[in-house]
Amino acid sequence: MAVIRSGRMVPFVALILFALIMYVYLELGKRGRVPYVRRLAAFDAIEEAVGRAAEMGTPVVMIPGRAGWTSSYVAQTVAGLAVLNYVARLCARYDVRLWAPMSSALVMPIAVENVRDAYAAEGKLDAFDPVTMIPFVSGSQFAWASGVIGYYAREKPAANIMVGAFWAESMMLAESAARVGALQIGGTARLYQIPFFAAVCDYVLMGEEIFAASAYLTKENILLATLVTQDMFRLAGWILIIIGAILSTAGIKAIYNFLGM
Amino acid sequence: MSVVYRRYIPLVVAFVTGAIMILEYYISENYKVVIDAADVLKTWRIILSTVVFIGVINLFRVHGRHISRRRPGQWYYSAWLLFLIIFYAICGLVMGVQSDTYVRWFVNAVTVPLGATMYASLCFYMAAGAYRVLRARSLETFLLLGAAFLVIMGNTPLFPYLWPGFATIRNWIFDVIVTGGMRAIRIGVGLGATATGLKTVLGLETGYLGRRR
Repeated sequence: MAVIRSGRMVPFVALILFALIMYVYLELGKRGRVPYVRRLAAFDAIEEAVGRAAEMGTPVVMIPGRAGWTSSYVAQTVAGLAVLNYVARLCARYDVRLWAPMSSALVMPIAVENVRDAYAAEGKLDAFDPVTMIPFVSGSQFAWASGVIGYYAREKPAANIMVGAFWAESMMLAESAARVGALQIGGTARLYQIPFFAAVCDYVLMGEEIFAASAYLTKENILLATLVTQDMFRLAGWILIIIGAILSTAGIKAIYNFLGM
Repeated sequence: MSVVYRRYIPLVVAFVTGAIMILEYYISENYKVVIDAADVLKTWRIILSTVVFIGVINLFRVHGRHISRRRPGQWYYSAWLLFLIIFYAICGLVMGVQSDTYVRWFVNAVTVPLGATMYASLCFYMAAGAYRVLRARSLETFLLLGAAFLVIMGNTPLFPYLWPGFATIRNWIFDVIVTGGMRAIRIGVGLGATATGLKTVLGLETGYLGRRR
């Protein structure tokens, strides 16, 4: 009796291998062997954005995407909340108003705790006001977008940081924030929204770059070490693609059949 | 207790639910226990959706504050919003939310057209964004402008009619250049999401919970 479903053996083995390699690099990370991580200008610019808001006396808008906890976009929400935590800490440190509009009621309580932790870590818990900082605007896509655009027009934020999963509203938000002169940092792993952010935002995080948020912003050795696993699998992917393309051109479907096991 | 409640319990919940959902994808249909456990979690997902009440409570707190302070230019919109929330809730409770009820008619007549209007306005945002980006200031932007010009020509009915090559060029740009780039990003996204998922399930990724050490 088969334990693994037909056609999913190779992905399962790949997942196990992924976890094992991650564990090895995690142990190496604990011992201080940290890989080189290239600079990501968008993450570096977050402090500049919050500093700009402090100088101008206007708020910072931080949107951790519009996805919830129960879809395939949850990894992007996790990345967005990691950035929210970092932005909230900076806002607390520099006494800048933070506004993080929520679209998912499932994410909202976690975001509230996340920001509360950031303010507590900076010793500014008395400045934490979840009602005005992390409002639930709407669960409906365009009603939520209208609310956020209205806030841009009224408050003219100095910085607009968007990291997470976005849909058609991405262009509306980015363009509206650009019109009020906000410094913009946009990042998403949704392929169709990346060009919109690339067109309008000052700094862009493309695809997988947002998943490095937690490691890059905290500089924790363990998390930085796990990034190597992705690079190793990417290399394996390239090798498979090249060999597969050559073999397929020659009429041999060995790689194709292997991956379908 | 606070550390247990605020840190360890969420991590245990993330591990158990994550592990079950991963297993459910890979394990054979013969192992009913895992499949059933995943089904239960999916059903819980629907129940958990009822936490939308948290959002509603927040809306009442935010907008109730606007009304009580008579915030200029804001309080009457807040009052209207809260009135509509209550009105729709009562209508839904009394009449139900089936397609033949008045409450559904209200949604179809108000919410749907408003959403469609917002969606339609997207073309203006895109045009403004395109104007912002499509300026030949360097070699890269010149190439982008050229590619955009050819794609726009290929997408119109008139130009491919005058010269079919426009459609061919447009298709080649999409099928070769765009698809290649998007696949590369997609592979990276898949690996990044897998790593983040595993780190979350294993309790290594705690950024979403805040940094409680």
